[in-house]
Amino acid sequence: MSEQAAVRTDGLGKRYGSTWALRDCTLEIPAGSVTALVGPNGAGKTTLLHLLIGLGKPSAGRVEVLGLSPRRDAAVLLPRLSFVAQDHPLYRGLSIADTLKLARKLNPSWDEERAQARIERLGLDPHRKVSKLSGGQQAQVALTLALSKEPELLLLDEPVASLDPLARREFLGAVLEAVADTQMTVVISSHIVSELERVCDHLITLVDSRAQLAGSIAEIVASHRLLTGPRSDAASVARVHQVIRESHTERQTTLLVRANGHVYDSCWEQHEVDLEEIVLAYLGYRPGANRWEAGAEEVVPV
Amino acid sequence: MTWVAWRLQRTETLITLGILALLAALLVPTGINMANAYHHLGLSSCTGIEQGSACGQKIGDFQMRFESLTHLTDWFTLVPGVIGVLLAAPFIFDLEHGTYRLAWTQSITRRRWLASKLSLPIAAAVVAAGVMILLITWWRTPDIRLDGRLGNGTYDAVGTVAIGYTLFALGLALALGAVWRRAAASITVAFVGYFAVRIFVDTYLRDHLVAPLKATFKGNPPARLNHAEILSQTVLGHPHVHLQGPVGAGSQIAAPKGATPTVFQAVYQPASHFWPLQLTETGLFVGLAVLLIAFAAWWTHERTV
Repeated sequence: MSEQAAVRTDGLGKRYGSTWALRDCTLEIPAGSVTALVGPNGAGKTTLLHLLIGLGKPSAGRVEVLGLSPRRDAAVLLPRLSFVAQDHPLYRGLSIADTLKLARKLNPSWDEERAQARIERLGLDPHRKVSKLSGGQQAQVALTLALSKEPELLLLDEPVASLDPLARREFLGAVLEAVADTQMTVVISSHIVSELERVCDHLITLVDSRAQLAGSIAEIVASHRLLTGPRSDAASVARVHQVIRESHTERQTTLLVRANGHVYDSCWEQHEVDLEEIVLAYLGYRPGANRWEAGAEEVVPV
Repeated sequence: MTWVAWRLQRTETLITLGILALLAALLVPTGINMANAYHHLGLSSCTGIEQGSACGQKIGDFQMRFESLTHLTDWFTLVPGVIGVLLAAPFIFDLEHGTYRLAWTQSITRRRWLASKLSLPIAAAVVAAGVMILLITWWRTPDIRLDGRLGNGTYDAVGTVAIGYTLFALGLALALGAVWRRAAASITVAFVGYFAVRIFVDTYLRDHLVAPLKATFKGNPPARLNHAEILSQTVLGHPHVHLQGPVGAGSQIAAPKGATPTVFQAVYQPASHFWPLQLTETGLFVGLAVLLIAFAAWWTHERTV
């Protein structure tokens, strides 16, 4: 990868008791990218983000964020990172104004004007209590805190999972707007792809802790094809291209391939394939299994 | 961070102030009343151990009149426990609601967050206990002059032990809460635990903290038994028959039939043991509190994700 990496992990693992929540995870996230971290529940997305922000201590392997160690260099690294945890926790008893004041007190680099302008633009009364806000509004307040810290790296853990479709759209729109004129690197974890495509330019799929598909979204979409043809063996195609998923009906075979250059074989009809379908194929792919399997519950102690 | 810690602990601090205000509202008027009665009855001449029957009558009147109030204030020994566990609540709420993930991903380190988050309730606990001690010490002044400071109900509330009790309750709730992360459950269990430890210390351990003295006397008790806490009283030659009631001749009625109870033997804590007892017990509870709070800090720092 030619770009400088904002995040680099090598054989990273985290164990809770005897259960590995993340194991042998090696990946790089390029600086300046907006990366979607996609994987089924239980793949270790939350654990990975916790290790990046220093909430958790690695049980194995190494992790480097902006060239520093999240735990050892916390004092210098924390001011440069923002994190919105799953379900965007906020102090429910505080008003929005007090929530902003809290963040201002806890962050030496804090853009108060920007924070207040965002709250105003959201149409929120600063004197309202956080507990009186809707889920979407709470997420927006949490995002305001994260952005007003002016981080170099913004980590969002399943930011839209608990939101209704309209709130999702608004939240991701706000992220997109915030990213537009900065060098900020953003990582958004999610188990759904559809909304992320609009916001992200890079993608990493995390299945069983492993980064299976990693790269720029444009390149990923360009290199994958759906091939349909008369029922046959995929072996001849697999010699040249990487077959991600194959399915057969009585007469027809459909292959999702990562093409290595052009597909010249004329017996295959080629189709463009959208990102969501590509990702689903990667997430669902298990050798020898035709059906997609549901992931296990995410192992994060509460 | 100090503002943040204060803001997140404001409700509990105000409740603590409310508890102290309630105490004051009850104790100040009745305390003035009691001090006036003490002077009107001229009880200041009745504080020695050898009192005339007139004194006995007056003390009896005084104590009868304020008996129910004194019994009520005996219950105040639970207040340090209530205040202690209450002040632990904000720390546990942070863990229960997941908001520590917000706090720890701002720009301050976990270590600093812990320092602020823990030092504020500790300071509040010490101040609240101090205020309560001053209030009750003033209120009990007449009682202390007549009976000394070693009796149950007085000993617990005056001196320094109440500071130790409050910190211990706080530490117990913090340690439970750090592991359990459930505020209501941790606070309830901590209060029960506080009560159990207090009962153990009150009924058993305290007598062993500072070795009690022994006195042997005939007839009337000697002056050094004045304001002392009598642990047991026997008749010489009958060590297994414990006498009840007032010290010395006054308890003859409880002496075994056929015995000639002339020489009494008393095991007691003299008034001069008040501070050694207080400081040892305070040290014990403060030491436990330090261990528990250090454990809560360590567990939260190392084990919480």
